[in-house]
Amino acid sequence: MIGWLRHQKHALTAALHRLRAHPLSTLLTALAMGVAISLPGGLYLGLANLSQVAGELPAQPEISVFLDTRATDAHKQAIAARLKQSDIAEAHFVPRDKALAALSASQGLTDIAAGLTENPLPDAWVVRPRETAREAMSRVASELGTLPGVAETHLDSLWADRLQAGLAIGRAGVWLLAGLFAVALVAISGNAIRAQVLARRDEILVSRLIGATDRYIRRPFLYLGTLQGLLGGLAAIGVLAVAGLILRAPVAQLAGLYGSAFQLIPPSGLEIASVLGLTALFGWLGAWLSVARALRQVESTH
Amino acid sequence: MISFSQVTKRYPGGHEALSGASFTIEQGELVFLTGHSGAGKSTLLKLVAAIERPTSGMVSVNGQNVGRLSRLAVPYLRRNIGLVFQDHKLLFDRSVIDNVVLPLDIAGLDRRESLKRARAVIDKVGLLMREKANPVSLSGGEQQRVCIARALVSRPALLLADEPTGNLDAGYAADIMSMFRDFHQVGTTLVIATHDDRAISALGGRILHLDHGRVGEASA
Repeated sequence: MIGWLRHQKHALTAALHRLRAHPLSTLLTALAMGVAISLPGGLYLGLANLSQVAGELPAQPEISVFLDTRATDAHKQAIAARLKQSDIAEAHFVPRDKALAALSASQGLTDIAAGLTENPLPDAWVVRPRETAREAMSRVASELGTLPGVAETHLDSLWADRLQAGLAIGRAGVWLLAGLFAVALVAISGNAIRAQVLARRDEILVSRLIGATDRYIRRPFLYLGTLQGLLGGLAAIGVLAVAGLILRAPVAQLAGLYGSAFQLIPPSGLEIASVLGLTALFGWLGAWLSVARALRQVESTH
Repeated sequence: MISFSQVTKRYPGGHEALSGASFTIEQGELVFLTGHSGAGKSTLLKLVAAIERPTSGMVSVNGQNVGRLSRLAVPYLRRNIGLVFQDHKLLFDRSVIDNVVLPLDIAGLDRRESLKRARAVIDKVGLLMREKANPVSLSGGEQQRVCIARALVSRPALLLADEPTGNLDAGYAADIMSMFRDFHQVGTTLVIATHDDRAISALGGRILHLDHGRVGEASA
């Protein structure tokens, strides 16, 4: 056990030593990995930011039912009774003063609301039918529109649905891209490790002759791949941080034009840790795949 | 300690380096392998250290059938054998002491203890002043002594040397041979392939003579 720990420590220091011995190639490999990972990483962050915007919008398809300002109490009760029927999943009443209060609170519309002398908004119901398919929605909407006392019905959130669907495609794209670039990462790492193995041919052959096991010889290269992957992950985070710094001002300006306090959200600690963990894992994998082959090559040319 | 029984080694292409070799070497013996170059001396040493496998026959070291040893077991066999090469096989990317300490690193020994042992054995071969030097800056004889130090640092019971004085002038060669005599006197089994007759007559010991792959006993 202690011998095993010593071997690990020895392999780790050897790997660090090799990284330091070739700073330029270490840096270039890390940059190649970093740029590769920053593409899916950047897309992921972009989508996370878009989702944040979209998250403020109603996600469920709803029908807004606006009442006529002249609707009588009897009409209102009839409408409330209709909305209790079984084809309606949920319905809640929004009185006109509450609607105005919500409008004033909502981003970008504060100025408009403040300029109003009287409340132009009608009472309304927000209705969620049990069936949310498009046809069922419009059927319910048009039926509600014929009730006495109803001024207008409005199918909300269809566009929000479309946005959500678009985001879902984007998210699938992130995973697709991440998968592809993980393969690229394995290839970059494998290639770097192969070069290292071939460059250390003499050491490998001599170590074999004086009793080194396969594992002893492989271990520093596996550490090397892992460390290289980790550096690649750090480089990717660096790339994204720089991109974030560059984008921050223009995004703030655009958000300002919409009267929104929206800001770019940086990746969470967990997300950063996962990126580093995954790049280290794929660096290790690339090393593992290439080292056995390269070792065979070294030993067969002996 | 070492026993060959009807060992034949044929290389791809048909060259037969050893033909039906049978002999036994006891623990603590000092044995010279002689014979013209190409007679099979190197092949014989390589078979002992499982660097080559016999085509037929049985090579046994310490009761282990070396020819049948699995790939995973070979490193552990080699850790008990000190190897001295004619071309030294030193690593030029590290200092003398880092070369010598390598077998102990491989065996997973405590680093500080390893360095102490390496320094002791470097002292024994008379290179303590040069422990931090790169082997490239050493003479051929000094490089050979580093190679011997590396072979001895793990205190193997068996030392195999392939033409250890082959490239050295007479003074260095005598130095190294007297070093071998000291190891023999403390009980190490030595098998030395050489055609340096002066060394053989100076040290005495048993002689196995190889002639076209056939082994015979000879007297000094």
